Amino acid sequence: MQIYLPIAEMTVPAESILLLGTFVGFLSGVFGVGGGFLTTPFLIFMGLPPGIAVGTQSNQLVAASLSGVLAHFKKGNVDFKLGGVMLAGSLLGSVIGVMVFRLLQHMGQIEFAIPLLYVFFLGSMGLMMFYESLSAVLKKRDNDGDESSRLMHHKFFKALPYKMRFPRSKLYVSVLVPVAIGFFGGLLVSIMGIGGGFLLVPAMIYILGMPTILVAGTSLFQIMVTTIFATIMHAMTNHTVDLVLAALLIFGGVIGAQFGVKVSRKIKGSYARFLLASMLLIVCVKLAGDLFITPIELYNTEVE
Amino acid sequence: MPPVWVFLVVFVFMAVKPAYAVDSDLLTIGLADDSVQITTGFNGSRLTIFGMKREIGDVAIVVRGPERRITVRRKGQSFGMWRNVDDIRFRNVPSYYDFAVSGVERDIAPAILRNEYGIGVDSLRFDALGRRSEGEVKTFREALIRNKQVSGHFAVEPERVVFLSDKFFRVDFDIPANVPTGLYKITTYLLQEGRVVGQRQTDLRIGQVGTSARIYRFAHNDSMIYGIAAVLMALLAGWLADLFFRKE
Repeated sequence: MQIYLPIAEMTVPAESILLLGTFVGFLSGVFGVGGGFLTTPFLIFMGLPPGIAVGTQSNQLVAASLSGVLAHFKKGNVDFKLGGVMLAGSLLGSVIGVMVFRLLQHMGQIEFAIPLLYVFFLGSMGLMMFYESLSAVLKKRDNDGDESSRLMHHKFFKALPYKMRFPRSKLYVSVLVPVAIGFFGGLLVSIMGIGGGFLLVPAMIYILGMPTILVAGTSLFQIMVTTIFATIMHAMTNHTVDLVLAALLIFGGVIGAQFGVKVSRKIKGSYARFLLASMLLIVCVKLAGDLFITPIELYNTEVE
Repeated sequence: MPPVWVFLVVFVFMAVKPAYAVDSDLLTIGLADDSVQITTGFNGSRLTIFGMKREIGDVAIVVRGPERRITVRRKGQSFGMWRNVDDIRFRNVPSYYDFAVSGVERDIAPAILRNEYGIGVDSLRFDALGRRSEGEVKTFREALIRNKQVSGHFAVEPERVVFLSDKFFRVDFDIPANVPTGLYKITTYLLQEGRVVGQRQTDLRIGQVGTSARIYRFAHNDSMIYGIAAVLMALLAGWLADLFFRKE
């Protein structure tokens, strides 16, 4: 069934969007990532303007992350204090991200910059997580208890000022670390249309040293508030939030997320991270390939 | 009493007029629908034009969407990766262009005339902004047309003007699902021996209606409330989903 998107001013097949939403929602439930790293490239591939893809995706992330947050909240797996501190960074990050996005668009480089950023982030995070989870899987044990290799024990992180106690996560760290992590998360929300879960989750595990069980719920909480802010900002500055597109993505997404949460209870942490890492690397390789392949049409047009 | 030269001028003008001036009374044009309405289920449409001509001759019909500024970008390789490296901006590019002729394009009117009246894609002229060589502008212009044809916004082949009798004709234009919105101009020409003798212009509104239009207006007129509404919809959906699935 074809459906007309009032803001994008174009027609898309409704089934593909619904299916995409469901799959992405499932991932968000299982891994605590938003799944935007699949949605944004796919929407752009379908011919949607990058601005609409990113703006609308932030709206869909609100719904996907709320149903995820609620599911984790009921199990007591959200650290609101730590999430709140991260928000200070992410809100600033998302404002700056919108400016960067507009600058890139003005320069005609947005369609190049988005895949390049994806390749960089997906590649580095994917490789790191792939290596870590693979060694954990091979050793037949879950890496959650093994803290010796984590970055938080590095002198640099221990020397930072403004330390704060986070009782829920049993952490005593400088607020600068979660604020900085949040800032990058916020940038990714407004530039790449992703929640940044694939960056936040490993950063919270390896840099902050949070217990893995709290990471998914806390990152989803942080993503939810950031994407609420980003959605309103996109709607006000660029008019790039398409309600019809968002509704389709959300409808599929909330259903997928509930099943995802059920599956996440049955998967061991290291296996889940291994699967997520593999998926990040596959998308990364695909996008990297596209950057190097000679395009069929060298010219493209943009209406001002 | 006016001087004699006034009569002379008027007389000369009247004598010359049938040969050069364009007469709008020679053509009557009617649209099957006076607007193209884009609803949520819109998946393209058909625009039917009926016409009547009062003299012999060929007919050409041109459909033009509102003019836009368009940036054409060219990709090049840097570090092995393809990205936009050059661009030319064009003014006055019709956002949509389609046309129909009753005979073979080049037979019904010479190139000079087609260029003057903008009959046929090759006749379209856009103004390039900035100082660029003629060759570059030509290449970018061709790329612009090619891109617009691929997206279905520019005609590849003319539609046929079908004569229902000696005088009556009809044309069917296919409107794609991604049609740009705005006020369109439909111009019909009556051509005799390579000259335009009759011309008639009609307006056509292509725009969103119903729910679709309300969402569009909401987003542009009350953007903050629209953003908040979008967020509330998302929160409600997330909450309802949780409520619904909790029972299981």
